[in-house]
Amino acid sequence: MTAILTNPLRVGLRQERVISPQCIVIFGASGDLTHRKLIPALFELFRQRRLPSEFAVLGCARRPWSDEEFREKMGAALADEIASHRTAWEQFAQGLFYEPVDLQQQEHLVRLGQRLEVIDRLRATRGNRTFYLSVSPEFYGSGCRALAGAGLLADPERSRVVIEKPFGRDYASAQALNKVVQACAKESQVFRIDHYLGKETVQNILVLRFANTIFEPIWNRNYISSVQITAAETVGVEERAGYYESSGALRDMVQNHLTQILALTAMEAPGRFDPEAIRNEKAKVLQSARLANEDEPWKCCVRGQYAAGGSLARPLPGYRHEPGVNTNSTTETYVAMKVAINNWRWQGVPFYLRTGKRLPKRLSEVVLTFREAPVHLFDAAGGAPTPNQLILRIQPDEGAEFKFEVKAPGSGMRSRPVDMAFSYDESFGEPSDEGYVRLLADAMLGDPTLFTRSDEVEAAWRLYTPLLALIEESPWQLPVHPYEARTWGPAAADGMLADDGLIWRRP
Amino acid sequence: MAPQLTLQAPLDLPPEEVTPYLQRLWTHDLEGSTGAATFTLLVWEPSWLEQQMVRLGRVDGPITGLLRKELLEAARMAVPETDLPQSTAPMDPRLAWAMGQKGGDHKSQDLRGQFVESAISAHMPRRLITLAPTLDAGHPLETLVAAYCPLPEEGGAGAACGDVVVLRGGMGALKQNLDLIQPLVDDSLPCWVWWNSSLDEPSEMLEALAPLPRRLVIDSSLGEPRRCLDLMLDRISAGQAVNDLNWLRLRTWRESLAMVFDPPSRRDALGHVVQLDIDVEGDHPVKGLLLAAWIADRLGWHLVSSYMVEVDGPGKGITAEFERTDGVGVQFTLMPLPMGAPKTHPGAIVGMRLICEPEHRPPLCVILCSESGGCMRLESGGMASMELAEDVVPLPEESEEMEMARLLSGGHNSTAPLLAAAVPVAASLLPG
Repeated sequence: MTAILTNPLRVGLRQERVISPQCIVIFGASGDLTHRKLIPALFELFRQRRLPSEFAVLGCARRPWSDEEFREKMGAALADEIASHRTAWEQFAQGLFYEPVDLQQQEHLVRLGQRLEVIDRLRATRGNRTFYLSVSPEFYGSGCRALAGAGLLADPERSRVVIEKPFGRDYASAQALNKVVQACAKESQVFRIDHYLGKETVQNILVLRFANTIFEPIWNRNYISSVQITAAETVGVEERAGYYESSGALRDMVQNHLTQILALTAMEAPGRFDPEAIRNEKAKVLQSARLANEDEPWKCCVRGQYAAGGSLARPLPGYRHEPGVNTNSTTETYVAMKVAINNWRWQGVPFYLRTGKRLPKRLSEVVLTFREAPVHLFDAAGGAPTPNQLILRIQPDEGAEFKFEVKAPGSGMRSRPVDMAFSYDESFGEPSDEGYVRLLADAMLGDPTLFTRSDEVEAAWRLYTPLLALIEESPWQLPVHPYEARTWGPAAADGMLADDGLIWRRP
Repeated sequence: MAPQLTLQAPLDLPPEEVTPYLQRLWTHDLEGSTGAATFTLLVWEPSWLEQQMVRLGRVDGPITGLLRKELLEAARMAVPETDLPQSTAPMDPRLAWAMGQKGGDHKSQDLRGQFVESAISAHMPRRLITLAPTLDAGHPLETLVAAYCPLPEEGGAGAACGDVVVLRGGMGALKQNLDLIQPLVDDSLPCWVWWNSSLDEPSEMLEALAPLPRRLVIDSSLGEPRRCLDLMLDRISAGQAVNDLNWLRLRTWRESLAMVFDPPSRRDALGHVVQLDIDVEGDHPVKGLLLAAWIADRLGWHLVSSYMVEVDGPGKGITAEFERTDGVGVQFTLMPLPMGAPKTHPGAIVGMRLICEPEHRPPLCVILCSESGGCMRLESGGMASMELAEDVVPLPEESEEMEMARLLSGGHNSTAPLLAAAVPVAASLLPG
């Protein structure tokens, strides 16, 4: 591939909104997410001068680290990045602090409040705070209660709390957690993070749909015959077996990431570009969404689990042979389903969602397939004309692609499909930010547009309740089909589409 | 947004009582509140034009220090009555001086320092100190003090508070009492100094108000060009955080030019620029020079020579030659143009043209022009064989106070790298 020159005039030009002076407090600071995602994202914001000089990060966890130890550990985790930005790191690290905190200990919260006041003075962070709960999900509720009890969420203008996924395990637990959280803070202070929403292409779905006149008139059941949303991973369960065994692909990927993409793809136009207007529309479309067959959900869902595969040179173990996984596990690593949206725009248009581990490619995309031309006037090179498709690539190589028929060269009038492609990295002079960079910045700015509201979360869980109940109560009706690692999932998933006369797109 | 008055009428105190009063206020009267841990904003606010226009009865008082629409309209109408060129911008310091030569004695209330734009007060300055020199050079010093607390939001707690201090008087009285300032600035908090006036004013005042590490906000469109650029250069070299509102107003030009070269097919052309022309309003070249300097810095050009040239216009033009990284020369021209209805600040950009001659491809000519100015001059001559990329640059509509509020909302203790890199080039580009 030819290397694309960067645009030197683009450097430093992003007209980003300005993040106010503040302290971001990370609970679970000794965990993976902090050094793999959060600190790198904050350092990136610092390097882009999007963080003010009056900024601090306070890491909190049970381990008795000092400020210096925290800085060293974060520095070690970012060693490669720091090597080329040594001075910037030294400046950034001056704003890193650590406080041993157990959220269940009242006196720790008192100490935390005092430490924050000291940091406010030291770094002029104006009493403005973002609390990031990067802790085990069972502590989300008690963590919020502890913060509220210590008065740290009392000022709705200057305190926010960010909660990682998963937000609940099902509809009932999500409702219960929402009640706890809402008793501690206003909804405007709560930022339920879904890192997929930080991706440019996911946000671009809104711009593509609502900033162009050519798409919106055809973005409905009159022109679109089906929609496929895919999130494929090549990796297996890796070190997450403990969590994954109790979650599975449905809870880990579908209920949050894929459902958010579904909402953005299917929602109505908001009245204005305003966080609440957008979230209202997302919530409404999710409330209209149903499994294609709620009475017999096994007919619109396929579960799978990867078995051994790979090549002779690099064999891959099956899920049940991964470290930490029960050898009789029935946890799904693949799930495909058909969803219907019962509203005027989408009645009769199937939305197919699929996600899986150990698939042949790592990619996420939305594919909108348009209806076929009513009459086939021309012979197609491939036998039958290919329906037009709009493909929104979420990762990797973020961009979009439109497939349409043209005349094949030569005598006669045979048609063949071609692609018209757009790539973010090629078209703009600089690569897109990682999702956490965008989302952390938005949370610190207090902009909730890309975060899920309580009613959205509940609607998303309610959508999958029949499946979760089925898995819980009569799992034999929704068996886990084995599929060879590095293949596109179980044959039953292909069968589900074949019943509708369709096939999955092979990206 | 409507500007906000302080919630409490300020107390007129003798100068020597200001500091003890504030200490007493925070330690006794407002016990339990230490004030907002935010920043100090120190504003040099002479508002000469407004003072003169109010004195002449051309706008109504009170004097607020804000750039009101009526004030700008009155200033535009006043230009033809002076000997200044028609292209003179309302904010040109020479206009205020010219109005000072006219007779008039209308009196008005002076509320400078007490009108705070809500976008600025929303950031809850810990202390807002305004120095308000009066037209009467012999006016004694008046010191006004008020504390404020924003109304607590519903359910809010721990509302942060600050105070407002106004030092008003003749230039002599202000100079004599400069030692009042230092005790009022809390060194543990960031301090911004907004020099809301021409940089031609007495330098000892600026020196006294804006030592390191205070962050300086200036407007390089106000003042003699060489002085503006040298001052920025000196301050940036000394490590001060310098923010130039004139540079910030270039944002849309830089963004528009970058957008032209976003398509990958055009990016290679940036390495083959042979000519750059910039037209500016009137005779103030700094904004145009900063734009040229930014392009030169980003593309790695080296300045070879620079000359003043006589042109048919309100001032002198500048021609210069750069050398690209591959040794090829780039011709640069900055042309001052007479404009019938100039924008608010001197030296606004009217248009720019960039000609590239990439290998094995037709030349590319990029023309950007302002919404109001058009760019007929740049469109003329010899471009028939070139690929033409033309665009109109939108005018930013934000007030000085909004720009200031943006700076205050997330400040930096160092100068933005792009400005820091552009200023030395711009200073070298200005001959003499």
